[in-house]
Amino acid sequence: MKKLITYCLGFALTSCLLHGQATFGTITGNLTDAENGQPVVGASVTLRGTFIGATTDAKGRFTLRRITPGTYTVAVSMLGYERLLLAGITLRAGESRTMEIPIRPVPLQADPVVITASRREQSLQEVPVSLATVTARAIADRNSVTLDDALRFVPGVSILSDQVNIRGSTGYSRGVGSRVLILLDGLPYITGDTGEINWETIPMFSVDRVEVVKGAGSALYGSSALGGVINVITKEIPSQSEFRFRLFSALYDKPRYSEWQWTTKPRFSSGIFAGYSGAAGPVSYLVNVARTVDESYRENDAYHRWSFFAKARYVLSSSQSLAVGVNYLDRSHGNFFWWKSLREPLRPADSQRDGLVNSKRGNISLAYQQFVTDKFFYTAKLIYFGNFWRDDSAGRVNNVSASHLVSTELQATYELSKPHILTFGIAANYDRVSASLFGQHPGFGAAVYAQDEISPAPGLKVTAGLRFDWQKVSVLSPTSQVNPKLGVVYMPDKETSIRASIGSGFRYPSIGELYIQSSVNVSQVAVLPNTDLRVEKSTSFEIGVSRKIAERMSIDVAVFNNDFRDLIEPSVEIKTYRPTPASPDEITGPVIQFENVTRARIQGLEAEIKTEWLRRILSTDIGYTYTWSRDLDANQVLKFRPRHLLYISGQCSWEHARLMADFRFLSRIERIDENLVRLAPIVNGDQRVAVKIVDLRTSYDLIQLGAPLRVGFTINNLLNYSYVELLGNLGPVRSYVLTLEGMF
Amino acid sequence: MKKHLALALALLFLSCDHGLAPLPPIEPGFGGTIYFEKETWPPADSLVNLWVFASQIFPLDSEKVFQGLFSNPPAIYLYPAFDKNLPLFGDSVSYAFNLPPATYFYVGVLQRTANDINVRSLKVVGMYGTSDVPPIPIPVNVTDTGFLTGIDLRVNFRKPPPQPF
Repeated sequence: MKKLITYCLGFALTSCLLHGQATFGTITGNLTDAENGQPVVGASVTLRGTFIGATTDAKGRFTLRRITPGTYTVAVSMLGYERLLLAGITLRAGESRTMEIPIRPVPLQADPVVITASRREQSLQEVPVSLATVTARAIADRNSVTLDDALRFVPGVSILSDQVNIRGSTGYSRGVGSRVLILLDGLPYITGDTGEINWETIPMFSVDRVEVVKGAGSALYGSSALGGVINVITKEIPSQSEFRFRLFSALYDKPRYSEWQWTTKPRFSSGIFAGYSGAAGPVSYLVNVARTVDESYRENDAYHRWSFFAKARYVLSSSQSLAVGVNYLDRSHGNFFWWKSLREPLRPADSQRDGLVNSKRGNISLAYQQFVTDKFFYTAKLIYFGNFWRDDSAGRVNNVSASHLVSTELQATYELSKPHILTFGIAANYDRVSASLFGQHPGFGAAVYAQDEISPAPGLKVTAGLRFDWQKVSVLSPTSQVNPKLGVVYMPDKETSIRASIGSGFRYPSIGELYIQSSVNVSQVAVLPNTDLRVEKSTSFEIGVSRKIAERMSIDVAVFNNDFRDLIEPSVEIKTYRPTPASPDEITGPVIQFENVTRARIQGLEAEIKTEWLRRILSTDIGYTYTWSRDLDANQVLKFRPRHLLYISGQCSWEHARLMADFRFLSRIERIDENLVRLAPIVNGDQRVAVKIVDLRTSYDLIQLGAPLRVGFTINNLLNYSYVELLGNLGPVRSYVLTLEGMF
Repeated sequence: MKKHLALALALLFLSCDHGLAPLPPIEPGFGGTIYFEKETWPPADSLVNLWVFASQIFPLDSEKVFQGLFSNPPAIYLYPAFDKNLPLFGDSVSYAFNLPPATYFYVGVLQRTANDINVRSLKVVGMYGTSDVPPIPIPVNVTDTGFLTGIDLRVNFRKPPPQPF
């Protein structure tokens, strides 16, 4: 059998290679800025209707290989530049064509190409929901080592320690049971045991962009998309051999108050990211390795991390492509849960001083795409996501967990006529958890979905979608969900886009929430299972308008209403319970248990203004979000939600130098879980203030030295402001970061 | 341009309150929550007093108990006070016991069952101790730099810990 498989694979590869050499053509080219003649780096160049594409290298070069003879349209896109469509490019068998492409920079390009809102490429202006993007450039500029750091500047998004909250959807559960779905290249990337987002496994050095959809998205993506969807899209593999690196070294300043200082030694954080990409025949590949070490500004909060990411793409023909991805993380991290007290906020509570978490996480993915015709293509994807972690204290193993999640999906897109596009697919997942905290449980799920986009009148687009999900966890009864969505976009002119959407979301309780059992955990509070948990659900509605109101100014305003039912939250109460199912005696004490606790309504307004000044030397971006969140059962404001978010970014560019500043404001959280503070206990856990952080950055491109190097210097938390994002967790003190990045 | 500079400066000014600050100095001591087993409360007439006690002396005998309580400075402290009680008949109550820095080798909950002051009317009904059978007291070290929390006590009036006297 092995021989047969080897023979078949060998035959297929050989025939493809030989076939390609005989019949394929090649397009190479240079992309330059039409105003200053500089190479445009990192632009996407694709052949429309095929899977052939490339990104421009450090010298603006690109190569499109293995092109079947025919007539094509070359599409060029890059944020900050006009979108180019070069039609009528005819290529004969074996022909090599060279193109010199100048591209004009445009002010305030507000319509980058996005894919998450409708599971297909479309202009941001055509999207019926609020959607924000974070570019690789922004990630590098802010030296965001993990994705949650990069999301802290997206309007409407706040991060509670490592838990993401879009427009108030999420409270406090230490990440367990995320109400925001994260996707890695379109596939779910939520851990199989606790249903949380593990930010550290996102290969940041390989991220091309991150798309953040605000509002329920289960009609397309299924469970966990209650509050929104975050899609991490990894870089396309450059067409030329390329070596990239980024180095950083950071020094933490002393805390603002000398009595908070817990060590006299300076605390550093440093990292190196290196990546190489190349091509061999029809196979292109990219390999990235990263090593980061953070001594942290807090005691027992240091981490050491190795990560590896590789991606290979095999262009079988101009209409077929196969991609393989491998991602691995090995991390050791101190287990700082909360402070000892506000007198010693940089030391952990005594019970957490020896805690350490070791984790190994990774995924392997496969994606096959084929254009059956230029109007119909499909994608088959498979991902395995494994998570293994162990927490120790004083050398004693407390808890171990292993979870395996396999997700697969087959999606097809059919353009019936120019404005009429049908997208449909099936998805399935298998989950297996084996953990000392959660027991051993399997989970299965399947789904089918469809979405139709039509244009009943000029400038008007209507999108309707429906998804059916079925899920069974362990021995519990299976449950099913039907989630519809409807979106409308009206573009009365080129500068204006009016959108409205309604959609629903749901989340199955995670295996962790259903089965967790711990008589004593790190917080010294027992945690009990609750297999009666029901699915939590949401309905989102929003109306928004996006308009360019001047040559160099655009505004986007949205009002939204999100209703939540059966929200699952951890509740802390005094209960009489058996510490383990086999215990003969009951005891009385504080207990954490996940419960369907409340109905909630979150209404609000969001506005973002982008402006360019002084002939593009200065640009500013101001985003403000007001959320009015109410617990409808208790008639109170929801816990752990800031009412006001204000993010202001400014950037000043002069030749090769840039100066950037960010200001981040989150109003004081009005309501917290007093029981948690009292019973955990978190000493001074009720102490909190508004968050007001100023970061300052500068960078310089050393192009004059003949190499595309960039050196940067950042001061995070310039004013050394002392704040908490999460109960009993003092935010990072001021730090000074030196970065160097390059591409050869 | 001036307007934008003013805006930037205003934002910096907004941030100038420095946020959280250290709390003022604290009185040393310890605290936590006392959990009472349900339906084990004795009749009200046998609850003349209910205190948290902290003793620098262990083991105790009847003579040391009264010396410890009434010497100056005392070696055994009562919370809330000799003439005050913990709240009665609840499921739980939190407490914060301020007392001089020292190692308190024996900490627990003391019930006074009768008006007479003698060892027969005093009964230890809860103890900060190990989970051994019988439990062993865990010392609580109070320093002048902090207030210890999480010193939780469990009381089962029907199953009191071993009596020291």
